[in-house]
Amino acid sequence: MTRAAPTTLRPASAKEVRDAVLDTPGRLAISGAGTARRWAGRPAEPDATIDLSGLSGVITHNPGDMTVSVHAGTPVRELQEQLAEHGQRLALDAARIDRGATVGGLVATADAGPSALVYGGMRDLVIGTTTVLADGTMVRSGGHVIKNVAGYDMAKLMHGSYGTFGPLVEVVLRLHPAPKATACIAIDGPVDAAAGHVQRLMASPLEPIAAEWVSGDPGTLLVRLEGGVDTLPVRTGRLLELLGDGAREIGPEGWARHAALTGGTPGQPDPAQVTVAAGPAGTSATAVAGAGIADPAGSGAADPAAGAVVRIGCAPARLAPLLAGLPATAVTAGLATGVATVTVPGAAVAEVHEAVAAAGGTSVLRDRPDALDAPAWGPAPSALALLKAVKTQLDPEARFAAGRFDPWM
Amino acid sequence: MDPRIRSEFVTLLGAADVIDDPIRTRTYECDGLTSSRVVPELVLLPRTADDVAGCVRICARHRIPFVARGAGTGLSGGALPVARGVVIGLNRLNRVLEVDPDNRRAVLEPGVTNSEITAAAAPYGLYYAPDPSSQQVCTIGGNVAENSGGAHCLKYGFTTNHVLSIEVVLPDGSQVTLGGDSAEQQGPDLRGVFLGSEGTLGIVTAVTVRLLRTPEVMRTLLADFPSVAAGGQVVSDIVAAGIVPAAVEMMDALAIEAAEGATGAGYSLDTPAALVVELDGTVEECEEQFAQVKEICDRHGCTRLHVAGSPEERANIWRGRKAAFAAVGRISPDYIVQDGVVPRTRLAEVLERIEEMGVAAGLRVANVFHAGDGNLHPLVLFSAAEGQTERAEHLSSQIAELCVEMGGSLSGEHGIGTDKACSMPAMFGEDDLAVMDRVRAGFDPDHICNPGKLLPTPRLCGEKPGRYRPHPLEEAGLIERL
Repeated sequence: MTRAAPTTLRPASAKEVRDAVLDTPGRLAISGAGTARRWAGRPAEPDATIDLSGLSGVITHNPGDMTVSVHAGTPVRELQEQLAEHGQRLALDAARIDRGATVGGLVATADAGPSALVYGGMRDLVIGTTTVLADGTMVRSGGHVIKNVAGYDMAKLMHGSYGTFGPLVEVVLRLHPAPKATACIAIDGPVDAAAGHVQRLMASPLEPIAAEWVSGDPGTLLVRLEGGVDTLPVRTGRLLELLGDGAREIGPEGWARHAALTGGTPGQPDPAQVTVAAGPAGTSATAVAGAGIADPAGSGAADPAAGAVVRIGCAPARLAPLLAGLPATAVTAGLATGVATVTVPGAAVAEVHEAVAAAGGTSVLRDRPDALDAPAWGPAPSALALLKAVKTQLDPEARFAAGRFDPWM
Repeated sequence: MDPRIRSEFVTLLGAADVIDDPIRTRTYECDGLTSSRVVPELVLLPRTADDVAGCVRICARHRIPFVARGAGTGLSGGALPVARGVVIGLNRLNRVLEVDPDNRRAVLEPGVTNSEITAAAAPYGLYYAPDPSSQQVCTIGGNVAENSGGAHCLKYGFTTNHVLSIEVVLPDGSQVTLGGDSAEQQGPDLRGVFLGSEGTLGIVTAVTVRLLRTPEVMRTLLADFPSVAAGGQVVSDIVAAGIVPAAVEMMDALAIEAAEGATGAGYSLDTPAALVVELDGTVEECEEQFAQVKEICDRHGCTRLHVAGSPEERANIWRGRKAAFAAVGRISPDYIVQDGVVPRTRLAEVLERIEEMGVAAGLRVANVFHAGDGNLHPLVLFSAAEGQTERAEHLSSQIAELCVEMGGSLSGEHGIGTDKACSMPAMFGEDDLAVMDRVRAGFDPDHICNPGKLLPTPRLCGEKPGRYRPHPLEEAGLIERL
């Protein structure tokens, strides 16, 4: 049977989202800015797509309480601009925010950036959500207070759900003061040397906001500090001393390359030659620039073996050795959080999942060429049956986001 | 209890760890909410996670409701036993399984107390941030169940922000891990749903927590103000200045009187309000912000400002604050601890309303609370002997619902339990509650895991948890759903 071309619905209010869900039979996909379109499992062909990009803007900002409620389709970049006028921010710096990622999309994909070291990810910043379920039920949880244990924390259920339970329509966020001053310190070296620096840094009282290694030749450790205008230079001096020879203060543009590599445009890994680690006895895991790349235009569609981006999480101390063993062509690694983003040849994705699982970690496929047919997830978690049971309760006909958790469910 | 079922538990645990002596089971009849009591049929005292799973499997097979219990310090009746059910006591699972300084984390059995985690981490210069006032006795399993907070949560977050993974026995007796080795997660955050679920979704058998580095310095001040409103304004101004204190606690005159009487911590007895402000961090940042905080206090008519000059003095200030609840027993024969949250900017308004409500009810209300995050703990003072119990309970519920009216929450850290389940419809719509019930049914289809807590009891006898289905009497047109 030939399926009709999927319709795209663009509701402009929570009620219109609800109507769209109720009035449209069949399988529904949810989209925002489209920055995570290729993430996780490949979405099954839907009967209709609910595009939430029209559901945008701040609903209530309470500067004194440092909370804001927004429509789920609000680009974080725009939100940050409004908050900055009040000296506040959403303490989230996921790479794809610059590409227009929305609040709802960042929650649904459990994304986070380098500052998750201190502030956590979206899960730690969301204090309330409103979601439309498959039967049209509009469910609200949380509220405008940061301390709240009334009822189940449904926002957590939505975090990382990839839309499986339904579209988020409203999100309440806790805010933080914008820092008065920020400094970025860099020191070059391979990942194992960087891991040593980070161990010392985390044992020090210097309170870094982020500590990320970026691959290159030989790679660079970036550390971000935040603080007062007068006091930060003192702390920066202490940090430079701690890191030793080669450490230097650089401008904020140091993070742009980090964001570009983490964003990981498929098929376009880092142009520089990459050394993840100098392995023992000259078995360097150096990869050649452009390895596996057959489509320089970046679509990656021509060659299923072109580069894919995999997100990895494991115990922080295990990360550097794990990375050294992966066929990565580009890496950003939160050596204090244990979270890394690696670009690998498409054909190596399954191998990456296996290596990460063997290190006790978790992994998920992110950006990839459309034609790449690689497993999106590593081994299924022990709670898979539970996850399916909750899914059945909330979306018994499996209408939402089919395919995202393939092959698990 | 059917003797055959009892013998299954005895076979699993041994006779000594299956308690059915009515005198001993009575020990478990309530938690910190002593006004509600139910004697369980059996109390089971497993020693390992596998034993816990075995107990739950027996319960699941026979559809016996079970309630997990740690130290029993909960204040909302979350560990209240169920009639004809069993209590599974977790105090014997009390080992610190691992402290891993390289990865800054610890793995704990659920019966480890909150203070013991920091004690185990301290030799490595690390500590565990969430610090409920009952931290000397409350357990990490209970902290997970209640998503506990404490004075330092404004800056550092709550239990949910510090738990990486939990090993859980689900209500069917299966054992799963929720969460993982990093904050990166696979799929929906079921760990986050479990945290704060008040024992209704399963039993925790191991917890992996993040540890933080002990701050370089901690500076603590105690400041008196001519009114609660002035103190509240100080809190707002501190936050507006972009300062996130490690803790901001407020006490009113009654709470100060009680705490000072009990501890002699050095609080002023003649002040209407006192703030405890603590800053921590690097030397440079802390000194700069501390100067700003002192200036803000002065600007709002601070009548006395005492800076802790030594770790002992700092500990003393906190001893007074953390003892405040219990100390209220010195100034009133009975009291109820309420736990609500309001947006910080509405603190002064809500405290005024609470005072009016207290006057109208003819009862005194003492206030000691986490001002930084708007988490109030009004203590309703009464005398049961003088027949004031019902009035006090009513006032306490009114205060909780007032917090919701102000845009806040029914609970910031103590949970809903049995105590406030009936108030949940004041905060959530019928659909919201029904969906929570569906989530619960995903975990616990037979409704045997701590039933009767958190969500309002089904309105009609015979209603099943899960998606709304009309009751047979509704379908027959004999009753209406209100």
